[in-house]
Amino acid sequence: MSVAPYELSAAPTGARASDAAPRPSTLYWLWGAFWLLMIAVAIQDVLHSPGISWWEPVLWEGSSAVVASAWMTLVLRSRGYHAQFLDQPLRWFAYHLRWLPLAAVTFIPVVYGVRHGVYALVGRSYGHPAWSFVFVYESVKILLYSGLWLGIVFGFDSYAQWQTQRRRLLELQRTLAEAQLAQLKSQLRPHFLFNALNTVSAQMNVDVARADRLLARLADLLRLSLQSGERETTPLRDELRSLELYAGIMLERFADRVTLEWRVDQSLLDAPVPALLLQPLLENAFKHGVERSLERVRIEIAAHRDGEWLRLAVRNTGSALADGCRDGIGLRNVRERLSVIYGGKASFELAPDADGVSAKIAIPFSA
Amino acid sequence: MKESDAGARGLRVLVADDEAPARDKLQRWLTEQADVAAVSLADDGLTAAQAIEQQRPDVAFIDIQMPGLSGLEVAAQLEESTAPLIVFVTAFDEHAVKAFDLNAVDYLLKPYDKDRLLRSLERVRERIGAGTRRTAAVATARAQTSSSERLLVPDGERLHLIESASIEWLESDDNYVHVHVGERRYLLRRTLQDLLAQLGELRFARIHKSGAVNIGAIASLTPLFKGDYEVHLRNGRTLRLSRRYKDLLFARMGR
Repeated sequence: MSVAPYELSAAPTGARASDAAPRPSTLYWLWGAFWLLMIAVAIQDVLHSPGISWWEPVLWEGSSAVVASAWMTLVLRSRGYHAQFLDQPLRWFAYHLRWLPLAAVTFIPVVYGVRHGVYALVGRSYGHPAWSFVFVYESVKILLYSGLWLGIVFGFDSYAQWQTQRRRLLELQRTLAEAQLAQLKSQLRPHFLFNALNTVSAQMNVDVARADRLLARLADLLRLSLQSGERETTPLRDELRSLELYAGIMLERFADRVTLEWRVDQSLLDAPVPALLLQPLLENAFKHGVERSLERVRIEIAAHRDGEWLRLAVRNTGSALADGCRDGIGLRNVRERLSVIYGGKASFELAPDADGVSAKIAIPFSA
Repeated sequence: MKESDAGARGLRVLVADDEAPARDKLQRWLTEQADVAAVSLADDGLTAAQAIEQQRPDVAFIDIQMPGLSGLEVAAQLEESTAPLIVFVTAFDEHAVKAFDLNAVDYLLKPYDKDRLLRSLERVRERIGAGTRRTAAVATARAQTSSSERLLVPDGERLHLIESASIEWLESDDNYVHVHVGERRYLLRRTLQDLLAQLGELRFARIHKSGAVNIGAIASLTPLFKGDYEVHLRNGRTLRLSRRYKDLLFARMGR
């Protein structure tokens, strides 16, 4: 049970990404092959026609290829912009096809100009049907080929996007599972569990009702850890509730050594936050602040809104950050989940405070 | 002699735990015992060491996970021959605790019930009754912690830890040892032999019957009459090296 998530995390995610997603160069090769084929077919076509040299079909198709490649380059350059419409195919195609009249109008003068020019250079003249026919004929061809190639680009891009989304979903599930496992492990950590049970055992001799409450709270906490929710975010209210359960037990153990302060903006209780995000931070505050300090320690849990940001913080006195200390599993998971859920749009900072350590998280606020 | 004392006047017990409920529980059950004369409390490692030094209890129940100085570190800093019987109390049979003898007085796992505490107390009584006061806990704790690196010394009313690398030399004076650190001198109620057993023979070498020197603090040696030597320390002080310990010191200094 404990092995699976770690095996997953051990596999470098970057490697998987490039294996699965189509490489952009595939599209260029395909494009090159398409035009070589067009030229080959054209040569093949005129091979038996006397009076037509081999370079003529090369010129016809080559001139079309150059102009079409210029458009293709524009299409590929604007992929990033059009990516947002990939899930609305009609809109995606419409955004591309609105340039078609311009393409048709510029294609014919440029391509036919080049052909006429080259023929003139070798002292011949380029014969073709009447301009009106040329215009209709070429426009139909442009429409067909544009449709074909836009379809191919659309296919490539939506596949890549689907891959990215699937990967992100897997990452979300993996990091959530890791956070759940980490919480479960820390609650089942013998040091916590047996000391908590010993506290209940001590209370039982003085205040049975209180011992009973403590035991119920411990059971709630364990139950909560055993639930593996599917959702990666939870209302702030629920997250704070699980912190309260944990803190309640720790306060029984260390009542004379710790003060806990909640500075939570009550209007934010319904705001979604990543599930189990604050838990490892509070555990660290107790582990490094309270359990290792001789003095009375103050722990503050804060949540407030700052414009588009929801700022969460766990501060504690009584401990200092060791130089060059490395993140434990808990903190690593916090960083990883923030980056998976919010991309680059969230921040996490663990920094020395005036007389302790403060862990600060900022996530985009959403009601 | 002390053993029969304990029998007559009742057991004096120290309870050291950083969690108040855990402390209270032990105190409550221990004071109920007819043969327990006094229970004193300590809420961290340093206070526990100080209480042991000042009150010399017969038995100490020491929690392993405490801030400042852990329970094992406290035990490692005690003099083996005068240390109280030690019962480690812990929430978990940590790696270190596995080194202790299961059948000995040595430890109590949290949460424990009254029966288990009484059994543990019974073994304490047996040991005291049999006069086998000496506890293996100190030696085991020393092996489990880096007790050779730091030394707990009295400094006025308080105890504090000094780095053993900073100690220049040790001078025994009956049952006391003077620990020389720069200009300072700490007086410990311990034998030189016990102190050397804790600090390890790697860093310190005997130079005569009642003195040992930190090998790293030696600047030079000058031969004297009859095979004796003068040891010059980096701080300018000169000590005498008896010929009896000369070869040992030379071997350690690689000469």
